[in-house]
Amino acid sequence: MRKFSVLMVVVLAFILTFSAAAQEPVTIEFWHAMGGYNGEIVNTIVDRFNESHDDIQVEAQNTGSYNDTLTKTQAAVQSGSAPHIVQIYEIGTQVMLDSGIIIPVEELGREVAQDDSFDWGKFLIPVSNYYNVNGQLNSMPFNSSTPILYYNKDAFEEAGLDPNQPPQTFEELKEYARKLTIRNEDGDVERYGFTLGIVGWFVEQMTANQDALLVNNNNGRGEGRATESYLDQEPVVRFIELWQEMVDEGIMLNPGRGWDGAKQAFLSGRAAMMIESTAQVTNFTNNAENDGYELGTAFLPRPEGVDRGGVIIGGASLWAVRDHPEEELKAAWEFLSFLSEMEQQVYWFENTGYFPVTKAAVEHEMNGQFFAQNPNHLTAFLQLLLSKRAPSTQGALIGTFPEVRQIVEEAVEKTLQGDMTPQEAMDEAASRVDRSLEQYNSLFE
Amino acid sequence: MKEQDYDSHFSVPYLLILPSMIILTLFLYWPTIQSVILSLYRTAPFGSRRIYSGFDNYINLFTDPVYRASLVRSAVFVLITIFGGLAVSLVLSVLVNQKLKGIKIYRTIFFIPYAISPTVAGSLWVFLLNPVAGHINYFLDLLFNVQVPWLTNGFFAFIAIIIATIWKNMGFNIIFFLAGLQSIPDSVYESARIDGANAFQIFRKITVPLLSPTTFYLIIMNIIFTIFQSFGIVDIMTQGGPADATNIVIYKLYRDMFVNFRPGLAAAQSVILLILVLIVTFFHFKYGSRGVHYQ
Repeated sequence: MRKFSVLMVVVLAFILTFSAAAQEPVTIEFWHAMGGYNGEIVNTIVDRFNESHDDIQVEAQNTGSYNDTLTKTQAAVQSGSAPHIVQIYEIGTQVMLDSGIIIPVEELGREVAQDDSFDWGKFLIPVSNYYNVNGQLNSMPFNSSTPILYYNKDAFEEAGLDPNQPPQTFEELKEYARKLTIRNEDGDVERYGFTLGIVGWFVEQMTANQDALLVNNNNGRGEGRATESYLDQEPVVRFIELWQEMVDEGIMLNPGRGWDGAKQAFLSGRAAMMIESTAQVTNFTNNAENDGYELGTAFLPRPEGVDRGGVIIGGASLWAVRDHPEEELKAAWEFLSFLSEMEQQVYWFENTGYFPVTKAAVEHEMNGQFFAQNPNHLTAFLQLLLSKRAPSTQGALIGTFPEVRQIVEEAVEKTLQGDMTPQEAMDEAASRVDRSLEQYNSLFE
Repeated sequence: MKEQDYDSHFSVPYLLILPSMIILTLFLYWPTIQSVILSLYRTAPFGSRRIYSGFDNYINLFTDPVYRASLVRSAVFVLITIFGGLAVSLVLSVLVNQKLKGIKIYRTIFFIPYAISPTVAGSLWVFLLNPVAGHINYFLDLLFNVQVPWLTNGFFAFIAIIIATIWKNMGFNIIFFLAGLQSIPDSVYESARIDGANAFQIFRKITVPLLSPTTFYLIIMNIIFTIFQSFGIVDIMTQGGPADATNIVIYKLYRDMFVNFRPGLAAAQSVILLILVLIVTFFHFKYGSRGVHYQ
């Protein structure tokens, strides 16, 4: 009798296993480039989704940097094992549009999933403007950020500057940096007034802030593709000139290419001002609290007498890959739509510092006094919302954008090393970009 | 038991080399042929377009001043790294060939850099050379009151990459030099000493010539190492910058393939590299034994 009941249990277990297998949930692969702490936040959101959706299982996988993720997606597409959803940085937008593998999220939501309840106007306009091409939203805005000026208010006071009057123009930035720089008796710089990592993104943003285009054809968003770069024109060149002059004068630290050097210099007090992503607001604020100084934030400076354009939304968005069964595409939509809900947006924003991208989430944060208690987040937000609505701040669409960024970074390095004047370096960069555009465009004629 | 007559079986030798041929074909010849084919096309990202372009990729490369500069830069890099590296390794191997107490510990210490991955090695050097908090600049400042812009100046970045690569490959060279040194019989040294040779003469006239087979082997291996394996160090330390100063051919190839998404151009570069390595190997086989003193 005992044996019999054991047998019954085993049989029952088998039946349960197989019946569970019969209703196996739809599995959605989601590739993202969020490492470290932000990666954990992604995992938490994915877990929440999986718990609330019995029929869908989202499997999130970190695929390295933004660039690695794009590369791996290409390889996966060619070997027929593409994920359903992939996070691609903003400068990969044109490549994704040309890839022939994606389904625009608007088509996914409206036609495949027939989701009539989704409000397509829920996104902040500066955010959806970037990802709106050919009259529809192509990818789901996810992690968005812009650059802002960070400064050490205590250092301002020491130098006799008003901590509530951050620099607004290039001239002021230079003058303030001069006052903030401290040299020891040997003449070595102990603290620099300003620092900036050599990252192409900053050049793009400073150009947009002067309401100027990076490439022709309305930043590649007009009638045709971009065919000519404006890197050799005044808005770009005068920013590179400012950069070179400040480094030469020894009032600005050149930490080399990339993000880490400048961040390290600012956080350790070796530089009094810097420009960084708004995604760092929380991190920098906490650091200032721990080290006992007050952090200030301000809009990006621009040359005197030039009208303000604004900032371009940076970061990344989520793309859906078309070549999957309809059932899986619907499940992918379910997940994308879940991410844009207010609750997830607020959680994402408060934990990572990336902007909430929907109006409802911003309203929720306003009502909850979040911006009143975190003025630095308010600076970040206002700068974005006050940006002019124009092709300059919509951001450029360039098929070879990752390469263009490198060309710009090399040009900056050449001027900082003194190999070339800013104008010469940017002339060379512009002709290299033109050639790169020509080669890319010829593939799609 | 009947003795096997292998000659009567026509297929036996072919059967015997078949396993290695299969592996070589799958993992070496087939990808090589693929690269050659790919280098004749221009391919759009994601492979959505593929246009036959003949030798355009090669022509583009050789008319591109950036690529030509990269070739020259790589040659300089390889030469300095190999001769610097071998000289340092030889001196160190002679030192660790002494019969000292705890010599095994010293040998291990010198071998460790070879055992760690290029990524870790590159990161360590980035920490050491950091302009804000790096130890090397700290000591240079303390001793000579200078601050060297290691990774932000093209010249110094190039030097930094060379130092890191030499340091990284040192372990491999030391192991082979050590084996070479220990195979030189003591009797040769003894007779030299009896004849009244001093330490330098012994090193110059006995150690160096008798080590030449090892040295020659190491030169060839180092050429291949420095061309292909310095990639990791460059990627972590300088990403080819500043202003292309450390953009050596293997790094440019990587960037064209994985950042700029130009598979055709990258394939053409890999074919050029293949030809260069074939030339090195040819010289290895043809002149391998000349000027090299085997005991």
